[in-house]
Amino acid sequence: MKKYREYVEKWERKIGSFLQFDPEKTKGDSNPDGVLKGIPFGVKDNIALKGFDMTCGSKILENFNCPYTATAVEQLQKAGAVAVGKMNMDEFGMGSSTDNSALAETNNPWDTSRVAGGSSGGSAAAVAAGLVPFALGSDTGGSVRQPASFCGVYGLKPTYGTVSRYGLTAYASSLETIGICGESTAITRNVFNIMRGVDVMDNTTVDYKPSGKDDTQTIAVLKIGDGDLSEEVLNSYKVSIGRIKDLGYIVSEVELPTLKFVVPAYYVIATAEASANLARFNGIRYGLAEKSAETPSDLMQMSRNAGFGDEVKLRILLGTYVLRSGFQDQYYHRAQKIRTAILGDFNRIFEEADALMLPVFPTAAFHHGSSDLTQLQQKAADLYTCSANLAGLPALAVPSTIENGLPVGVQFTAPAFEEERLFRISEKLEEIFPAQKPEGFSKEWKA
Amino acid sequence: MDKGELIKTATLAKLKLDEKEVEKLALEVSAMLENFSLMMEADIDGLEPTTQTLQQENRTRSDSPGSSNLSNDLLERVPEREDRFIVIPNVI
Amino acid sequence: MKYQSFVGLEIHIQLISETKVFCSCPNNFGDEPNTNVCPVCMGYPGALPSLNEEAVFKALKVCKALNCHINEKAVFDRKNYFYPDMPKNYQITQFESPFGVDGYFNLELDDGSYKKIRIHDVHLEEDAGKMIHDGYQSRLDYNRAGTPLLEIVTEPDLVAGRDAELFVQQFRQMVRYLEVTDGNMEEGSLRCDANTSINLPGKGLGTKTEVKNLNSSRFVNKALTYEIKRHAKVIDKGGEIVQETRLWDEKTSTSKSMRTKEDSHDYRYFPEPDLPPYRVTAELMKEVLSSMLELPNDRKKRYLEDFKLSPEQAAFITGERKTADWFDSLLKLGADSNQAASWLSGDIQKVLNKEDVSLEESPFKVERIKELFDLINAKKISNNIGKNLLQAMFKEDKDPSVLVKEKGLEQVSDTGAVEKVVDEVLAAHSAVVDAVRAGEEKQVGFLMGQLMKATGGKVNPQMAREIILKKIKLDISGDSQSRDPKIVDKGSEK
Repeated sequence: MKKYREYVEKWERKIGSFLQFDPEKTKGDSNPDGVLKGIPFGVKDNIALKGFDMTCGSKILENFNCPYTATAVEQLQKAGAVAVGKMNMDEFGMGSSTDNSALAETNNPWDTSRVAGGSSGGSAAAVAAGLVPFALGSDTGGSVRQPASFCGVYGLKPTYGTVSRYGLTAYASSLETIGICGESTAITRNVFNIMRGVDVMDNTTVDYKPSGKDDTQTIAVLKIGDGDLSEEVLNSYKVSIGRIKDLGYIVSEVELPTLKFVVPAYYVIATAEASANLARFNGIRYGLAEKSAETPSDLMQMSRNAGFGDEVKLRILLGTYVLRSGFQDQYYHRAQKIRTAILGDFNRIFEEADALMLPVFPTAAFHHGSSDLTQLQQKAADLYTCSANLAGLPALAVPSTIENGLPVGVQFTAPAFEEERLFRISEKLEEIFPAQKPEGFSKEWKA
Repeated sequence: MDKGELIKTATLAKLKLDEKEVEKLALEVSAMLENFSLMMEADIDGLEPTTQTLQQENRTRSDSPGSSNLSNDLLERVPEREDRFIVIPNVI
Repeated sequence: MKYQSFVGLEIHIQLISETKVFCSCPNNFGDEPNTNVCPVCMGYPGALPSLNEEAVFKALKVCKALNCHINEKAVFDRKNYFYPDMPKNYQITQFESPFGVDGYFNLELDDGSYKKIRIHDVHLEEDAGKMIHDGYQSRLDYNRAGTPLLEIVTEPDLVAGRDAELFVQQFRQMVRYLEVTDGNMEEGSLRCDANTSINLPGKGLGTKTEVKNLNSSRFVNKALTYEIKRHAKVIDKGGEIVQETRLWDEKTSTSKSMRTKEDSHDYRYFPEPDLPPYRVTAELMKEVLSSMLELPNDRKKRYLEDFKLSPEQAAFITGERKTADWFDSLLKLGADSNQAASWLSGDIQKVLNKEDVSLEESPFKVERIKELFDLINAKKISNNIGKNLLQAMFKEDKDPSVLVKEKGLEQVSDTGAVEKVVDEVLAAHSAVVDAVRAGEEKQVGFLMGQLMKATGGKVNPQMAREIILKKIKLDISGDSQSRDPKIVDKGSEK
């Protein structure tokens, strides 16, 4: 335990992935036996874990001690895993860097001048540094897969409805899932199978119904246009295409015609749902409350003003706007129809292929600050990941190569409930091209 | 996005923005709305909106009380209270 | 009035269930504040709604009772607005596709005719918490937040305060019958808001105003009567009605405009992503139908037609479902409907009122009352004794036959024995006997009373009176004057 703590502390001074870390605090809530016995894991700070605070990376919930535990976390505790801390994140899941956290900054373990990705940056960074073998994140538009790609670890976004959202602070209810950053395909698969299940507390959970066809023969590969990807990412992508060909998969090039509309559709839906989901934070029942307020209206407004960061305010305003009477049709309803269209595109592809390969993000990890990529550009770059959220499909980010000292991942997606197809592709790749680790990495937690 | 519209929207969202914020946000919201207008080019004729993927209908729970009561824990986390009541400044 | 008036009602009823509509907290009234709360109904981050199947069942019962078309898919929506008593600052309700639409209710008017009132929709939603204002602060209790609420919206088919009042009364009776709600307006388990407008005849609806804070059906009448008059005054003067929400102020008997600083709400309704649609199956509807019974107005009709009860008796008996059920059970045992109706609405009710106990909680089981009737009808006891027995049955919780034996109340039917006592009474009151002979028939009553006293009431009154008169007349042999045709047996007491 002592050596583990020291290891974590040493890394944390460089990367700051945990908002709270205490390996003993919830040990008593974990089954002393079980398949995951003794395995430590991190929990993104928007997921409920009794005993720890749940800040969602926001001032409005700073010091909010959570009185209950998310179902998915309980499943893992029942299997013996021990939750050791809460991971830093972009405020309320809104961002692609974790720099939107109001409480701390997280650095990429490969290059601390760069971001770990977002919004589950803390989770990915901790796994990359070997602080934990896996950590839970949430994926609304790519928030598990993109940081996984930036940090060189595996990142799973499960099929919508397979993992209970009870205990996940809602950002975009119809798009998001609890996801996993893992150091290997094996642990990602194990954790997924333990966590998933129908939950009476979450009426959107569904029965798990895979087709049974777990082995993939044909992988469709998304055609990339000139300038769509940075040089590094393009190189990495080409290498991965070569690898799957070498592994014997039948590869075909495909296009997703709806892809150019997914970012606006995603942001319209996500911000609309977020504007309602975040309305509960008003300083009355919990969280930050502005004491000087003299009317209830002031109490609510002032608490929200003081508690929310700029990006959150922006998205709440956008979401409120697109739902306003008179505007719903051209924004919200239109976006929901584009959702139907993208699902149609995917279904067409999956008639011919068992899985689809596509990039995760157009660049590798960028520097802190907006000089590399403005907030707006970061949003536009969500196109490869948010499409799976719009369609509810499973997707896995797999470490591909290291380009100029930075990891670049590649993404696979499959029809609903076909996670096993993704794991098998990933396993095969992992066998021959295992994921690399940053300097200073060691599996201290195993001791 | 004109400032009046922005302020109206902010009021609906219970956000009271100061002058500087209004200036900044008006620009940012306008940029996003421009991005949203890209959707107008999409061919969505005859498509039904998807509000949820992969739903299982008729999900219900039986009408039986839970066994645990967290009410005291929840009251501990209330910012301002008097006995078991939550307290806020008066509506008038 | 030269205008045509239109009234529509929005009625909310809190449904009876063990738990709240979207979480497993107890659905109780009157518990310690903030005791029946959990992360879900307190709007905690990460909490999600989970639909209570009993709330769905009860919603469908009401839809069926109101002859609604049941939508194939019932969908939940979010209604977004900020208010301190709202745990999430949006309410989960139904907007686009509620459980029931396009129904109707047959309203019985004062003159006995019926009017069809169309029901726009019936939808399921959650209640908010309670806020109590107290000087410089307000206090919030979220026990009520998440209580299942059913909202019934009528079309503006009502015309005035009185028929709105009748609607509320009859609707309330119906939903109590269905046992879906307590329908208690004082406690808030039935709440009513009214919308009204006026216009020149044939011009359609006018600009409407909404009136809230109507805590009884009587206030519904008062408030609407006032409001319609107010509309007329405004329009007569050439003014325009402002579409607004007003509060009824019982103290001043006027409606007052609510000074809301906010614009008309933009609720930004959108489908609730956390709840999938509910598709009502034929199987479920079968269950719903089999759980439903004859509704009060139909039952009342049956009692009037089949049993020829008086309107007052029929109204009284069908007033509460448990009373009508009791009545039906009594008839099933073979009791005569008129005797049962008269006793139920008369002496039985008297005892219950005196003891402040409901029929179903009282010792008046239908078997016992039937036994009482049998004793009376077989002339084993008199009607009067029967009535007195009720009190004893209540206090001692015993069968009437047991009490009759214990107290020796059986009527004496042996005429010989009666004649003997009559002789004694007549002998003791010869002056009265003379008075009777002289034409003062009222004095027979006195003699009856004396006879009853002497026998402890255990004489069949009809028989007693016959014997008294016979004996008095017999003593006047041949005296035609005393054969006053006015001295006629007026028939036995009932």
